[in-house]
Amino acid sequence: MKIRIDKDACVGNARCAAISEVLFQLDDEGYIAVSEIDVPEGMEELARRGARSCPEKIIEIIEE
Amino acid sequence: MVQPVLSPLVERPAHVPEALVYDLDYYADPGVLQDAHGRALQVAKEAPGVFWTPRQGGHWVLRSHNAVFEASRDTERFSNAPISFEQLQAIIESLPEGAPKPLIPAPITFDPPHHAVYRNPLQKAFSPKAMNVLKDNIRALAVELIEKVKPQGGCAFVKDISEPMPVTIFLQMFGLPVDRQREYRDLVEEHFAQTDKDPQLIQARLRKVADVMRDAILERKDNPQNDLISLLWDSEFNGQKATLHDIENYAVMLFTAGLDTVVNGMALGAVHLAKNPQLQAEMRAHPEKTSDLTEEMLRRYTFTLPPRFVAEDCEFQGVQMKKGEMALLFLPGADLDAAEYPNPEVFDANREGKPHIAFGAGPHRCLGSHLARIELNILYEEMMARLPEFRLDPDKPLTYHGGHVWGPNEVYLKWDV
Repeated sequence: MKIRIDKDACVGNARCAAISEVLFQLDDEGYIAVSEIDVPEGMEELARRGARSCPEKIIEIIEE
Repeated sequence: MVQPVLSPLVERPAHVPEALVYDLDYYADPGVLQDAHGRALQVAKEAPGVFWTPRQGGHWVLRSHNAVFEASRDTERFSNAPISFEQLQAIIESLPEGAPKPLIPAPITFDPPHHAVYRNPLQKAFSPKAMNVLKDNIRALAVELIEKVKPQGGCAFVKDISEPMPVTIFLQMFGLPVDRQREYRDLVEEHFAQTDKDPQLIQARLRKVADVMRDAILERKDNPQNDLISLLWDSEFNGQKATLHDIENYAVMLFTAGLDTVVNGMALGAVHLAKNPQLQAEMRAHPEKTSDLTEEMLRRYTFTLPPRFVAEDCEFQGVQMKKGEMALLFLPGADLDAAEYPNPEVFDANREGKPHIAFGAGPHRCLGSHLARIELNILYEEMMARLPEFRLDPDKPLTYHGGHVWGPNEVYLKWDV
């Protein structure tokens, strides 16, 4: 499973990181630091919840 | 508080279809003054997704989640300022030497790309990481305020808790004297209570706010401390050093936005908890659910209504809009939109995967959102931990205020001692 994020559209709500700081790493200003994340096994549900939590709807889950 | 007067009806302009007219005076609607979110729910249910109200001079209201979301992220068509950044700079430059410069709340009234330049110095200072550092201090303050009223068997929640808590935190962050709190808060109230749109009167009110802070601002220029004023003095904008005018622009913005919003958010939360002893019991048994409670409070009782201005004649969601018209982002309605949140009137802390936009969407997302969340979470936690079951005082009925921030004027709570 992969997470794809439209990084430029991030406005720093940081709701994804509130679900999992490990998966969704933020920069010093609280904006998403990465645009693609490989989801480690066992963290799939956190990834999905993190994606759903984004008020900007810019986090996409790619199931493999 | 002076009862606001319903504004006169103005005539519908020719480009506004009759079917899109809905009567809502966001300052003085009688329904809002009686029960702000009861009225918000009614608007969410019966008004068109984009409507025009003949009140407050006549303006658009975007009330559907979809319309608010789209317009908030479309800074080309929806500007945060009635005139462009360039026009504004031209006006400022044309002023005679030494003439007072107009105060422009920054960065909220700037559009991209200028917005990012002016927001940048504050981003790190308001990041989740920076806010986490304040947690212990915020908790100590919440505990102090609650413990002070606890033996009384009741309190005036706004005056005793929801006002002093965020205002004290804000003044500490900004580096302003906490013992002058009442003075600051009165100024903000005065600012928000006015419904006139006369630029000169608005400037006079903003000037009063800036003047109250002026000594502290000037003092920090030479003696930097670990506070926001000092941080702003140290900032550069497009290679230019910060000026007194820049700092004053930030000051009026952070002052007005930081002091009135969360005060009302807390008060709305207190009303809901007081009306729902069952929910209080649940929260006392499960303090770990507090952040879910906070999020649902923010959704169910979203309290800010930020204005936008149509930048060019355009069609938005099938509606013709003209340059310069105001379009109010009706966030309370967006978060009560049944198309986005099933049974929106139901308070359900277990809603998941349906985030609210109480802090707005797009690049102007509330800078203080991380601070507000921490303040709200800690307040609810400590209220639940320290107070017995509380209720509204039946002898003191609730009244509300409208404007750009909706909320109760005062919340009288009672509990058994």
